[in-house]
Amino acid sequence: MASFARPSMLRQTAMASRCAAISSVATRAAIARPAVVAAFHTSSKRPAFLPPGPLNDPAFVPEANSAHGSYHWATERLLAASLVPLTIAPFAAGSLNPFTDAILCGAVLLHSHMGFQQVVTDYIPKRGWPRLHKAFWWALNLATVTVGVGLYEFETNDVGVTEAIKRVWKA
Amino acid sequence: MIAQRVGLAAMRGVAKPNGLFVAQNLPKLALAARLPAQQFRAAATTSKVNLTPAEGQDILAKQRLARPISPHLGIYKLSQVWFSSSAWTRITGCVLSGTAYAYFATYLVAPLVGFHVESASLAAGLASLPFLVKGLLKFTLLAFPFSYHFVNGVRHLVFDIGKGYTKPQIRRAEQFAWSASILAGLFLAFGL
Amino acid sequence: MSALRTSSSRVLGASFGARAAMLPTRAAFTRSMATVSETPAEPEPRLKTFQIYRWNPDTPSEKPRMQSYTIDLNKTGPMILDAIIRIKNEQDPTLTFRRSCREGICGSCAMNINGQNTLACLCRIPAESSADVKIYPLPHTYVVKDLVPDLTYFYKQYKSIKPYLQRDTPAEDGKEYRQSKEDRKKLDGLYECILCACCSTSCPSYWWNSEEYLGPAILLQSYRWLADSRDERTAERKLNLENNMSLYRCHTILNCTKACPKGLNPGKAIANIKLAMNSS
Repeated sequence: MASFARPSMLRQTAMASRCAAISSVATRAAIARPAVVAAFHTSSKRPAFLPPGPLNDPAFVPEANSAHGSYHWATERLLAASLVPLTIAPFAAGSLNPFTDAILCGAVLLHSHMGFQQVVTDYIPKRGWPRLHKAFWWALNLATVTVGVGLYEFETNDVGVTEAIKRVWKA
Repeated sequence: MIAQRVGLAAMRGVAKPNGLFVAQNLPKLALAARLPAQQFRAAATTSKVNLTPAEGQDILAKQRLARPISPHLGIYKLSQVWFSSSAWTRITGCVLSGTAYAYFATYLVAPLVGFHVESASLAAGLASLPFLVKGLLKFTLLAFPFSYHFVNGVRHLVFDIGKGYTKPQIRRAEQFAWSASILAGLFLAFGL
Repeated sequence: MSALRTSSSRVLGASFGARAAMLPTRAAFTRSMATVSETPAEPEPRLKTFQIYRWNPDTPSEKPRMQSYTIDLNKTGPMILDAIIRIKNEQDPTLTFRRSCREGICGSCAMNINGQNTLACLCRIPAESSADVKIYPLPHTYVVKDLVPDLTYFYKQYKSIKPYLQRDTPAEDGKEYRQSKEDRKKLDGLYECILCACCSTSCPSYWWNSEEYLGPAILLQSYRWLADSRDERTAERKLNLENNMSLYRCHTILNCTKACPKGLNPGKAIANIKLAMNSS
């Protein structure tokens, strides 16, 4: 007697009778209506991603390519590390040197380009949006080349990046 | 004891028994008989017992199409998503590089369309602005993004050599990065 | 005793039988029984409201919603898991969640509690604040039901890193693969991982690219085998990470380290992999 009349049991009987009432209605409704997928702060893209292959197979391992892997990572870090002295030196020394200016511009341009590439890879992955990914990738390449030419023009016709920033800042 | 009695009383209300002994046993029987029958199944599951992997995959595919993705950006801790220093390193980097890209691309095409964006005219234009506007412009476009990206860039380089990963170190470095970069940005924009 | 019970229940049954089924609270009965059993006065109830994410696969067209449950903390254990088990037992048996060991070793009850991924069994109910506790399933996962996420792909990714010792040369003494104390020490902080997926599902990079990026949990496991002095396939393991997605989607966001309910450091493990990748 002590065991069967627990409060939880009571609730289950109560629930069961309620469910009995609801279930027939609910199942009918589910059959009649096509399943509209729910939205609750979900990401805009719902890829309905299905794991390829049988469920117990391991996930796909991509082909190895060091240029996209460890070398790329090391290049990024070395470039970023070299930018630390490169950005401080010209302003701290106050000297005007077209050579360091050119190196700074080149390094910043490359650093920006690689950074933007990471953004594209992260948010517009090839997997989900192959065409958009390609479009952005080439637009970025075009932009970087344009900016590179613009920088060259600026260095040759204007006062140079370091000096220009100084002048604008003191304005 | 009390709970038992409540339960029993309720059962009686449900079962409407004639005698006491029936009252004690009936709910148990009723439960055993009714509960499994009440668990209605989803349309996607089947009653078939031995499924082939392909059939299992099929069912999963159908179910997944109906499944929602659980909330993420909307519910995760603000400090770890919207104000995470990694995200802001990227944001400030994009602002900096975006500004530079926009300026130098404009500089290249300026002669063709007749704009004047040379450093001299830019400096003159900026000089004509009131102090506060000038400072805010410098702060949002260059000074703060630069200081934040610089400080956090160094922090990430330290991470990349495998240092500074304990939780207190992370917390302190984050606080330092935010306050240092805001102060440095303000100094660069208004102090120089 | 049995007779006493029977008689008292008979009395109760006679007097309250009809009402009992309708009355939802037990307070009325406690009070009416006080004269008989002389139980001490109950302490002031400490009510706490839990808002829990609900979604039922049987009605897929219905939007997920938050459902509130209020329970008395005086009658509940100290952990979030105690609370939700109590809710399931006493208020809503349809509430669905995974749980098993209730002591942080199985990793079943991983969920998002007040915006932080953690194990419900290791997370105290914040009794000092009056704010509601919000409980969601692990972020950016497919919801099977209520708080149950679909971790199929997570396990497939785990399988893809071959989480077992790979060796070709037999042991020197023909018995066991020996390891120095220093080498064994390298595995501390790695082998304790219980694969609860708290860290992986806290990582924004994993949210956006979980199909290709392995995520902190799997990378920590990957490093556990890279760091093992007895394993002989280190080069092959590294080669499997040599692409721009599997490993290098990690941008040192460090949500993984902040989330790990076992106090491990997936962020550090990934940094060690990155260093190892360049030092071969």
